[in-house]
Amino acid sequence: MTSVIGAPNATETRIVTKRLRDRPEDSWTLDGFTQSGGYEAFRAALKLDPEAIGAEQVAAAGLRGRGGAGFPTGTKWSFLPKDSYPRYLVVNGDEGEPSTFKDRMLIENDPHQLIEGIAISSYAIGCNLAFIYVRGEFALGFERLEAARRDAHAAGFLGANILGSGFDLDIVIHRAAGAYICGEETALLSSLEGDRGMPRIRPPFPAVAGLYAKPTIVNNVETLSTVPHIMRMGGAEYAKLGVNKSTGTRIFSLSGHVNRPGNYEVELGITFRDLIESPELGGGVRNGGKVKFFIPGGASSQWLTGSDEHLDAPLDMDYVQQTFGVMLGSGAVMVYDETTNPALVAWRLAKFFAHESCGKCTPCREGTGWIEKVLYRISHGYGRPQDLDLLLDVGDNISPGLNAPFSQTTICPLGPSAVSPVVSLHKFFREEVIAMCQNNDRALDVTASDSGASDLGAGE
Amino acid sequence: MARFSGFGVTFKQMFKPRITGFYPKEKREKPERFHGRHVLNRYEDGMEKCIGCELCAGVCPAKCIYVRGADNSPDSPVSPGERFGFVYEINYLRCIHCDMCVEACPTEAITETKLFEFSFANRADAIYTKEELLVDDEGRAKRQPWELWLGGEDDKTSAWMRATSSSGDADYEGRVNWSGELGFGVREPEQGQSL
Amino acid sequence: MKDEREIVTVTIDGIEMQAPKGELLIRVAQDNGTFVPRFCWHERMKPVGMCRMCLVEVEGVRGMPPACTTTVTDGMVVNTKSETVKKAQDGVLEFLLINHPLDCPVCDRGGECPLQDQTLAFGPGESRYVEEKRHFEKPIPISELVLLDRERCIQCSRCTRFADEIAGDRLIDFGERGGEMQVITYPDDPFTSYFSGNTVQVCPVGALTAKPYRFRARPWDLSAVETSCQTCSVGCRGSLESSSNELVRLLGVDVEPVNHGWLCDKGRFGYEATHAEDRARNPMIRRDGSLVECSWPEALDAAAEGIKRSLDLHGPASIAMVGGSRGTNEDAYLWARLAKGVIGTDNVDAQIGDGLPAEVVLGLPGATIPDLDEAAAIILLGPDLKEELPVLYLRVRRACVDLGVPILDVSAVDHGLSKYASATIRHLPGEQASAAREISAALAPLIDGRSGPIVVVLGRSDVATSAEPTVAAAAIIREIPNTRFLVALRRGNVRGAIDLGLAPGFLPGRVTLDAGAERFVAAWGSAPAEVGLDTAGIFNAASEGRIGALILVGADIVNDFPDRRLVRAGVGGAGFVICINATVTEAAADADVFLPATVWGEKAGTTTNLEGRISRVGRKIAAVGNPMPDFRIASELALRLGTDFDLETVEEIQDEIARVAPAFAEVDAQLLKRARDGVVLPLALHRDELVLEPRRIPVIDFSWEPIKPEGPGEFEVVEFEVVEPVLEADASDEAAAEEESALPVDISNGAGLPDAQLFVWSAQHAAQPTPGRDNYALRLSAGRSLYDNGRTVASTPALRALIPAQTLRVNPSEISRVGVADGESVRVSTARGSLVLSLTGDANVPAGVAVMPFNIGETGVGDLVDVSLVVTDLRLETLR
Repeated sequence: MTSVIGAPNATETRIVTKRLRDRPEDSWTLDGFTQSGGYEAFRAALKLDPEAIGAEQVAAAGLRGRGGAGFPTGTKWSFLPKDSYPRYLVVNGDEGEPSTFKDRMLIENDPHQLIEGIAISSYAIGCNLAFIYVRGEFALGFERLEAARRDAHAAGFLGANILGSGFDLDIVIHRAAGAYICGEETALLSSLEGDRGMPRIRPPFPAVAGLYAKPTIVNNVETLSTVPHIMRMGGAEYAKLGVNKSTGTRIFSLSGHVNRPGNYEVELGITFRDLIESPELGGGVRNGGKVKFFIPGGASSQWLTGSDEHLDAPLDMDYVQQTFGVMLGSGAVMVYDETTNPALVAWRLAKFFAHESCGKCTPCREGTGWIEKVLYRISHGYGRPQDLDLLLDVGDNISPGLNAPFSQTTICPLGPSAVSPVVSLHKFFREEVIAMCQNNDRALDVTASDSGASDLGAGE
Repeated sequence: MARFSGFGVTFKQMFKPRITGFYPKEKREKPERFHGRHVLNRYEDGMEKCIGCELCAGVCPAKCIYVRGADNSPDSPVSPGERFGFVYEINYLRCIHCDMCVEACPTEAITETKLFEFSFANRADAIYTKEELLVDDEGRAKRQPWELWLGGEDDKTSAWMRATSSSGDADYEGRVNWSGELGFGVREPEQGQSL
Repeated sequence: MKDEREIVTVTIDGIEMQAPKGELLIRVAQDNGTFVPRFCWHERMKPVGMCRMCLVEVEGVRGMPPACTTTVTDGMVVNTKSETVKKAQDGVLEFLLINHPLDCPVCDRGGECPLQDQTLAFGPGESRYVEEKRHFEKPIPISELVLLDRERCIQCSRCTRFADEIAGDRLIDFGERGGEMQVITYPDDPFTSYFSGNTVQVCPVGALTAKPYRFRARPWDLSAVETSCQTCSVGCRGSLESSSNELVRLLGVDVEPVNHGWLCDKGRFGYEATHAEDRARNPMIRRDGSLVECSWPEALDAAAEGIKRSLDLHGPASIAMVGGSRGTNEDAYLWARLAKGVIGTDNVDAQIGDGLPAEVVLGLPGATIPDLDEAAAIILLGPDLKEELPVLYLRVRRACVDLGVPILDVSAVDHGLSKYASATIRHLPGEQASAAREISAALAPLIDGRSGPIVVVLGRSDVATSAEPTVAAAAIIREIPNTRFLVALRRGNVRGAIDLGLAPGFLPGRVTLDAGAERFVAAWGSAPAEVGLDTAGIFNAASEGRIGALILVGADIVNDFPDRRLVRAGVGGAGFVICINATVTEAAADADVFLPATVWGEKAGTTTNLEGRISRVGRKIAAVGNPMPDFRIASELALRLGTDFDLETVEEIQDEIARVAPAFAEVDAQLLKRARDGVVLPLALHRDELVLEPRRIPVIDFSWEPIKPEGPGEFEVVEFEVVEPVLEADASDEAAAEEESALPVDISNGAGLPDAQLFVWSAQHAAQPTPGRDNYALRLSAGRSLYDNGRTVASTPALRALIPAQTLRVNPSEISRVGVADGESVRVSTARGSLVLSLTGDANVPAGVAVMPFNIGETGVGDLVDVSLVVTDLRLETLR
């Protein structure tokens, strides 16, 4: 393991991704897993008091959800009502946000690590049936996950009376049908129950009445994959990694106009410049260009520009939130060089959200489509100078105040996510967009990255 | 002298130009917005404009309009869209020619002509049916036997006039946003209304 | 149901108000005069918070929660009119309208459209949307009755939720997503719900339109009257609307004790029968062997002459009256008075062989529909409620699904509610009594400590089995403590007719001939001395030539009576036949005098539903031609027979009923006018259920409610002086004055009731034993289908197409036993006759039973049943 002393290194800090980087040939098999220390943390956890795992390890580690919202995992677990059983753990493996591809890597290349995380977490929260809701398009991931579950069962890490501890756990793996909205936890639960994947009104929160109206914890794949390492290292030790309240490491899915796109697990606290430019990480912008702007936390995040102020910001959830009003979200960093037309990027993102809106709430159902149509006009040479202000007001009706974290007139944050590109256009590229509208300029296509690296990124 | 002073007025008038018109052989030019009897217009392709929405009947202060709608058959539609005016009757014993129906009509189907000379002798004639109100294949009002028209009067049968947009916004002055009519095409807007 | 929730204080727009804790904010606001705009929220459905129209600001809560999913807590401060809220409302309406086609002029909803109204009140006024709107094919039929215009749809999910939550027919749902989201039906599975019309009524835009109403009228030329549906005996409240003297629609009105605003499709669209082509316009008399039109005096004189002749020659017992269960209470009362007080015969029966004896109907302890909600358990021993009393089905389903009341299903075959039953007792048709003996044991685990009455829905499950087994079962169930009965009779006002003496052995007001003789001799001058015949008895007597004059009041007797041969023989054998009907039915064609009657919608009055709840029926249109209301026909006949009733108006008749009929004590015209949700008889026992306030009309005159304040008719919008539910006794009304002191009373011993004692069944019934079934026979179960050849459906073009095909359903094992293919025709023979019918296998039908709906097809059950037998066993033969 890389040294964790001192300031975060501008290199990879491999904890969750260590095994799959070290043994790419068999990291997903039971043998590969156990030979590299797998299920040891689970064995150890089974000897502990379940409540202590949540309180003393996960909460102490400062582990925050890796799915996007960054909610402290230990706190989430503590919301479960006492003495209400059965309760369920649902793993959100419906990674569908454009440019986010970290969970897929974890599911495909280290499924046992996820299962171990599930097992420890289930033990900690007193759940005997866990569900993995895995994105339908992850064919290989599903196959390996299913095999891992079978193997773990056969090896006694799942099933009844696991390792003689008296703890029972079964895992159901459910393949999703390809809706982005099902990554939202309540929509995921509806989908899992067999209904249309549409978010539910909260309260009741899933921790109180979730799957089948029972107390349910929904955690991200990466979050749970981190749990065994917290057990192994100890919560307090893990908390020493990272900065402030952003502890530990995170996997960033770096894409766009960088030389080395890919998944990089880095210690939180390094800067965006480190991530983009470090030769071990992003390796700089393609063709020696400059960053025009980048999306710091997945498609639903607002953007940052290539200014020094933005590039030198640390990867610290609270810092970027408070300073720039953006979020690290799902950890997907999309980099655009100066050849990029921001209006076209905004249109492409809006098109995604309009397509993926579930249709439940009026502002999102109608508003995302409207934004998409106006952005199409702007980016294809039919814009009117007043269109940007129109978009902002439409956005304001979906997400009043246009701030992050979103305030919203919808149930879930999908609608406000579609507003992020609009707000970013307005903040950073207003003149450019208005000039486009006045000149009826047509945007050129964003050219794809030409660096040719695979999505596993460095190490190959 | 007094007996001649009595003729004073008479003699004075004798030499003034005569203003008596030879009505009905001669008729005065009617104002642009004269409210005469109605016609039901058709589009330039011959389709009826009326969709049987009954808004005219609803707004009519004299309650003289009776409309019933019906489903357009998709094979031979009477009007564009789903619905057409199946029955359309105006009772001219009640009509006060206020033109509210014209204002209310969403499709410019009903307009008022400048024809006003109709002296019916019975109640049935006073109730104009759809057949009677509908313009003919040339887009002209159909003359009823009891109506007195003179040459050229039917040129003014289409009386749809609007100078500004429906919202009354002066910016729209002179901009046509209504449909063409059978026999008359798209009518020019009236000028100067917003001044 | 008593609300026992804690009361909290909430401040809405600066006004403090009290509300039960946990109540929805939107409801609290509305009840206190603040209208929060909404589309998806519906009073009777679970909130979903989809439309985002009802967003409000709550102090201390981040963002804007929807009022329809937020519950009130103590000290909550809510703002529904702030700038932020206003902007959100503007925004949502602009969003809803960007893809809305705005074809309001051709839309059926235009003019009473919640989207229009709320846009006017809360919307931005102008749209900034310049893009192309969403396009779909204009209306597509999603069922025989309902059309869907997806362009107009605002995706509020009211229709899909109704179908799923209320009706239990999840046949429509959303498909696609985002901007393309649309209501869809499942492939090859049309929206064949019996309740589909309700989706049209709850739709807040014109996306769902009803075929029968489509383009028939615009809201501003409608006039409405609140009325009770008389299609079946549930008596759903509705708003009957007409345009140009033509009934165009019936909308459900939300009445807590009865229908919650829902209607079945048969009731909703059945008004079309009023305008049927074959309605009789003029009276007719038989001249030279054929019926010819004549004047009313001629016809009435002829009818009275026929009655008088028989009376003079053979005495009152030679005269019989059948039917009268479709009219109003006032009609029924005057028919009863004509028959029993003027003519003096007791051969009077409003039920036509398909109901239960009057002593069972009147003598069992009664339940009300709201009792279902609080019941410890519900026992179903009767007809398929979904087919016969559809809105009662909704109530029972709700009690079970939403309120957790267990159902014990005692039936011969699967029916609409079988899948909700917690326990099931299956029996052969006719074996109800032995099944009833198992009820006690089956009930115990279901009740399991639950409090409340045990409500028994009791009725004839089929017409091929006589009433006797059901009566025997009722006698057994009656012994179970704390049972109350909801007697599931079917025809619109059959309960009112029985209550008012159109049954052998009874006089108006639930008294027997003996108990009421003195009272009615005083009131009427005379009353029958001997108990008369029921319908089957009358037709038997008539076929033997013992009936000199037969009066047929309404009903298509040949098709409605279970035994067609007996009816034909009876009508043929009667000396003189007077037929009072809306159309010339088969029996009417043989009549000597035909008198055309007005029907529902053409006359005012009251009707009584199966609980014994009296509610008012409104007159909406004038009849075309010269039909007369039944009560006038009865008066005119009485006059010609020498008695002047001196009753000119419906109100006068109501007052006389209140004065004369014991069970109707106090229920006079004034009370009927004021009792909003009707009066349940006897009033002494149900006084606390009276609601005398006028119906609440929402603060802002939005078009949500079918009742419109500005509409003419009988809606009381003026503020009533709210009178305490204890009524002032009319000094001249002795009966009422006596009863004043007794509240509530136990009628089982007659205490507190005036001089006549309300009838209580002693259940000393010696049932004819049910014969066993031999192994080669199948036992026929002939229930009803909602859509049958009855007049309502047959005369309604929209519903006629929905009548199912005639087929005999049997267990598949029987098909193989007979050795035919599924769907093949076989000869079906009973003791009565034989028919060729197609045979269908259905695994839900138990072996040994054959199921065929009554009154479907040209020939059918009526040709197979012999009413003198307890059960109908049939044999199958191949035609090969």
